[in-house]
Amino acid sequence: MTVAEIEQYLAPIRHEYPDPRSLIIPALKYAQGDAGWLPPEAMAAVAEATGFSQAYVESVATFYDRLYVDEVGRYCINVCVTLSCMLRGSDELFEHIADYLGLDGEGTTDDGMFTLARVQCIGACDRAPCLQVDSGVQLGPLEPADATCLIDDLRAEPAPARYDR
Amino acid sequence: MPELHSVYRHREFGDHLTTLADYERAGGYLGLKEALALSPDDVLYAFHRSGLRGRGGAGFPMGRKASFLPKDTGKPTYVVCNADESEPGTFKDREIIEHNPFQLIEGISIASFAVGCERAYIYIRGEYEHQARVLDAAIAEAREAGRLGPDALGPGRPLDITVYRGAGAYICGEETALLESLEGKRGQPRLKPPFPAVAGLYGCPTLINNVETLAALPPIMHRGPDWYAAMGNEKSPGTKLFSVSGHVLNPGNFEVVLGETTLRELIYDMAGGLRPGREVKAVWPGGSSVPVIGADSLDVALDYEALNGVGTFLGSGGCIVMDDSGCIVRASWRLAQFYRHESCGKCTPCREGTGWLANILGRMVHGEGRGDEDIRLLESLFGRISGRTLCPLADGAVMPVQSALELFRDEFVRVAHEGSPRPVPMTEAPVG
Amino acid sequence: MADAGNTPAAGGDAAGAGGAPADVVSLTVNGRTIEAPKGTMLVDAAKAAGIEIPIFCYEPRLGAPIGACRMCLVEVEGMRGLQTACSTPVAPDMVVNTESEVAKDAQDGVLELLLANHPLDCPVCDKGGECPLQDRTFRFGPGETRTVEPKMHFPKPLDLSPLVALDRERCIACYRCVRFSQEVAEDGQLTFQERGDHTEIATFSGDPYEGRFTGNTIDLCPVGALTSNPYRFVSRPWDIKNTPSVCAGCSMGCNVEVTERDNEVKRLTARPEPNMAVEEGWICDRGRWGYPALRSADRIDAPLLVDAVGRRKVLLDRAVNEAGGLLGGRDLRVGILLGEPVTVETGFLATELAERAGNGAGMVRRMGIPGHGLGPLRDLPGAQMHHLDAADVIVVVGGDPCAQQPVAELRLRKAHRRGARVVLAGPRPTALDPACQVLRTTPGHLQDAAPAIAEVLEGSARAIVLWDEADLAAEPDAAATIAAVVAGTPGARAIELAADVSGPGLRALGIDAPGDLLAAIEAGEVDVLVTVQADPTTGPDGDRWSQAIAGVPRVIEMATYRSGLTDRADLVLPLLTALEDEGVLVSMTGRAQRLRPAARECPDAAAAWEIIIALTHRLGRPVPDRTPAQAFARLAAVHAPFAGLSYGALGTTGAVVAASSHGGPAPRREAPGDGLLVVPCTPVFGDATAHRSDALASVLEPTRVGLAPAEADRLGVRTEARVRIATPHGEAVLPLEVDSRLHEGAAYLFTGDPQAGAMRLLPLDRGPVRAVVGVVQREEVSA
Ligand SMILES: Cc1cc2nc3c(=O)[nH]c(=O)nc-3n(C[C@H](O)[C@H](O)[C@H](O)COP(=O)(O)O)c2cc1C
Ligand code: SF4
Ligand code: FES
Repeated sequence: MTVAEIEQYLAPIRHEYPDPRSLIIPALKYAQGDAGWLPPEAMAAVAEATGFSQAYVESVATFYDRLYVDEVGRYCINVCVTLSCMLRGSDELFEHIADYLGLDGEGTTDDGMFTLARVQCIGACDRAPCLQVDSGVQLGPLEPADATCLIDDLRAEPAPARYDR
Repeated sequence: MPELHSVYRHREFGDHLTTLADYERAGGYLGLKEALALSPDDVLYAFHRSGLRGRGGAGFPMGRKASFLPKDTGKPTYVVCNADESEPGTFKDREIIEHNPFQLIEGISIASFAVGCERAYIYIRGEYEHQARVLDAAIAEAREAGRLGPDALGPGRPLDITVYRGAGAYICGEETALLESLEGKRGQPRLKPPFPAVAGLYGCPTLINNVETLAALPPIMHRGPDWYAAMGNEKSPGTKLFSVSGHVLNPGNFEVVLGETTLRELIYDMAGGLRPGREVKAVWPGGSSVPVIGADSLDVALDYEALNGVGTFLGSGGCIVMDDSGCIVRASWRLAQFYRHESCGKCTPCREGTGWLANILGRMVHGEGRGDEDIRLLESLFGRISGRTLCPLADGAVMPVQSALELFRDEFVRVAHEGSPRPVPMTEAPVG
Repeated sequence: MADAGNTPAAGGDAAGAGGAPADVVSLTVNGRTIEAPKGTMLVDAAKAAGIEIPIFCYEPRLGAPIGACRMCLVEVEGMRGLQTACSTPVAPDMVVNTESEVAKDAQDGVLELLLANHPLDCPVCDKGGECPLQDRTFRFGPGETRTVEPKMHFPKPLDLSPLVALDRERCIACYRCVRFSQEVAEDGQLTFQERGDHTEIATFSGDPYEGRFTGNTIDLCPVGALTSNPYRFVSRPWDIKNTPSVCAGCSMGCNVEVTERDNEVKRLTARPEPNMAVEEGWICDRGRWGYPALRSADRIDAPLLVDAVGRRKVLLDRAVNEAGGLLGGRDLRVGILLGEPVTVETGFLATELAERAGNGAGMVRRMGIPGHGLGPLRDLPGAQMHHLDAADVIVVVGGDPCAQQPVAELRLRKAHRRGARVVLAGPRPTALDPACQVLRTTPGHLQDAAPAIAEVLEGSARAIVLWDEADLAAEPDAAATIAAVVAGTPGARAIELAADVSGPGLRALGIDAPGDLLAAIEAGEVDVLVTVQADPTTGPDGDRWSQAIAGVPRVIEMATYRSGLTDRADLVLPLLTALEDEGVLVSMTGRAQRLRPAARECPDAAAAWEIIIALTHRLGRPVPDRTPAQAFARLAAVHAPFAGLSYGALGTTGAVVAASSHGGPAPRREAPGDGLLVVPCTPVFGDATAHRSDALASVLEPTRVGLAPAEADRLGVRTEARVRIATPHGEAVLPLEVDSRLHEGAAYLFTGDPQAGAMRLLPLDRGPVRAVVGVVQREEVSA
């Protein structure tokens, strides 16, 4: 992700914010689309494109759960484990997926395809237990078998051109 | 009790209202039309008269808040829509955005006209990317049709709306943290005063309201504030959305007239009740940040005052139901983990206290409790965390746990001694 | 002088203290009625009345309160819940309780929660014994800890930089260091990462925290999370003694505290009670970590005598006797040359010595800038640093305070943040350029900026102009024009960015620059030359000095460090450093402040004033003084600028001496010859102290030549090459730095390290000079 690309992305929305600081999070999200996470070079590029210090940009990035400063897999599977989902089997769903992916709890599969995480309420308690792949639609209610199918389907997909997390 | 669809116009209409044409066919934009025929001050007065209270959690009268904005400061004025919807158990705003986005846009337009705003922002949680795209499309369509843009609020009266995506942080639902985040900072609450009405976004006068609050404005302006005020009761007029989730057979959103429906009706008549043989054990009626109540409170009417009467709050209307198969300590632990994860870390009692609570409860659940000593420790910690922080997140973290301990003391004591095996969750039980 | 710390130099006091009496509010705290100016925060109002409300995050020098730590919760009648005293302004008839059960429980509770994840490793923590967290826990906190949970653990410690260490588990997330970096130094480097109980201090991607002010984060840290690497595990608070003194690193005169143990200086920090009129509690890293220079290998640790037997070490008493002998002859013509740092007492005693030694008509001169043509600037109403806090327009003319008087940069940034217009006029790029308005002038043509400066000052009411002594002395025409512009601006005041540490004090005693002394030496009219902390051979026109001094019959060197004179001298007397010495230095704003001896590292060294007093005894005409205080009292009686002052009046924060100027305007001078005009620059971490201090090794800046890219292209050289730079005064081979921010047609000479010999290339009066820069032949061949 180059500075020029970020600047090009920001150009049409710059006027919407009186303070360029407001561009940092949009720029980070955009920059994250490239590799699916934010390597230091990507944050440095955001810093340059927005005019703020690199440390500041990283500080902002690390505050938010959905900005990843550590490498993650091709798909982030975010299983909601907050109360409503817990009551409807989210822990079991999570464990099933972890088993299926060969993971011991949260983490990234060896092939780099999936990063599995427990997340807090994603605003879809009516679909509990639910999960979200990247920032896709909240999916649920999921039986363990549904999750298995979902993972198989994702595995069969071609790599996305850009990531939306 | 019947539902009444004022904010959920799409339900009344029987279909999604995701195109401007459909929305207008369903009576959309008549509210703005009424508003534009009045002076901004009259519109503010209409907000007042309607008695509409903020639907984001605190229930502060909307008209009063809007009237706090100073005029003629020489600075721009902003309207910010709080679409962060991160309170556990709450998903009511999501449905407005997904199925009835123009009503929100119309509501923002009305509020913007009243306070003199030319650029409004919708701060939407990052996890609602799909919903944000629905909004983007609707805004583009409204702009195309001239409903947003240079003459949105009449000739020469511009308004545009920016959808700003959060990136995963519950605290950004708190209004000052939201503003920080929207300004490109770490989403940490600000010291108040000054309040956002006086010095909010970019230091300018700012009106912040929840999605549901703003979406309530078009019918209020269209059918008149008195019509709205006549619904419900004096202190809690109008309709309110409730999201029901947890151990109910038919989880979902329901719009009811405040005060006319009881919690029992909400759970049993609307949300399908519980599995056969199960009884309600605990309900967090207003999201996870409110005190939990037990089965003996089921006949409480759903309005602000009545819920206060049984020791809890209406909050966001995110009603989480747990039946008697659930363990209250485990539930409390899970919530404590939520708050620990979401504490922004700015102030000591919350940063350190939420983690400590989660640790103690986790130990108890896993059979590593220290019996009565842990109970005493918990009891002494509540007051050291709540009431002492910069923003109410810490209070929200303590209330459900403290109330659970008060209501289910025996169970806490038992778990503190024996631990709590994981119960069989609802999906694996036969659905009746 | 009631408030010596905030006494303005001259003119009306626009900054706070002396303005219109602030409205006073009366309130009740813990049953006592107290008064405080309107707008005061409760903590400060209580503190002024002797009531301590514990705090961690509150630090007004970092900006508006943030109310994060919640340590300062108190009860205020009529307000719901507890209030943070740090962010609650006093109000009339407020009733506050800081000791009620609820307030006490809140304080207890916050401490308990802070300690929940704080390691109890006080016995091995550098902060132990002087730790606000520890103190507050004793005073306000819980008796025991109730956590059984494992605490956070981090691999420890992490080097934020070679100078600053971070123990993450000790951090209580008070925001102080982060706010300093973001909002005071504005270096943007130190931030919080993650959130909630994972929050930690970090730099981008683990890069080192680089800057000129990083050490202030250590002073700010209320726990042992940030510590000084050079001081790590060096001593325990109960083994040390702290002495308030003044940093002699530049002409700012920052107030510091020096830590001594076993007669060694172990640490230097800002004072716990800052001098708001000077450094405001911020010091630069060069000042903070310069103290290891005291122990550098080139320190002269014993007197040296050259006689028939040869060159050898002797006892101090013997050496002073020898000196007395050398100075005694009735017809001897004596010259005394003062360098830096030299206190006013030493300067004064040197003039007395000159009257008692030899023929009684000795010349006493200071190494420094003559200042012809600076009179009109020096006659302007003066300002103190805190007046910048209230200025509406600030213009810096010439120099580069960010490098020469580093702490001044922080005040300028503060003014800029507050909304003051800050304008930088001059030929050098500075660290403030990106933030402020820049009037870049062609080297040698500060004059050109005068119209723009006049425009900037137009209509201002409280303007302050900071002018660089060296630059304006080199361009007297610009000095006159700019002085006229400032004088014509109502309410405008000036601050001199003085080039050396001793200059303002010695000038106030009427001691001149050394031009005529050098001429006298060259004419063979000096029989004995005495130098005090002065090595003219490495200074301006050093080669000429070297040649001249070769012909002086006797040379007595009094100095701390070996110099170009040491081998030539007949007698060498080892001196104390400023950290070991006592006496008064006058800062660039005219503030006379006391050095207090913190340690005495070198047992065979002595203070210059001590030696001079002894010499007057040896010469049979003793001065009456036994201490610097007595010498100061005597000089104050005869030197008008110091009239009425005494050590007592100076207190701990000093007092402003009356400005002294001499001379009117002088004509413009052109640098003769051809070549590139030399622009002398002072790198922060490039001076002699920085070179001597091993603590600063990681940040050391080389003495070098800077050229604009076009200039370098013309020579066919690039950065990292070495170039030969020659002026009519000498030549040197130095590394090259190519920088696009530099002007064409000029050679930027980054001086500092006396060994590198760059200062020698300048004229004695530091006037304009040209240099020929060329490629170094030998390297060309080998390349
Ligand atoms: C920790 C915390 C989280 C909050 N989250 C939300 C939220 O997700 N959505 C929301 O509308 N209000 C939320 N609020 C309430 C807002 O601070 C604010 O009161 C609300 O946006 C005002 O709008 P209203 O008056 O229309 O309710 C939250 C408050 C706190 C303390
Ligand atoms: S209460 Fe918690 S979330 Fe709120 S400001 Fe304090 S630390 Fe942040
Ligand atoms: S000192 Fe008041 S909150 Fe920290």
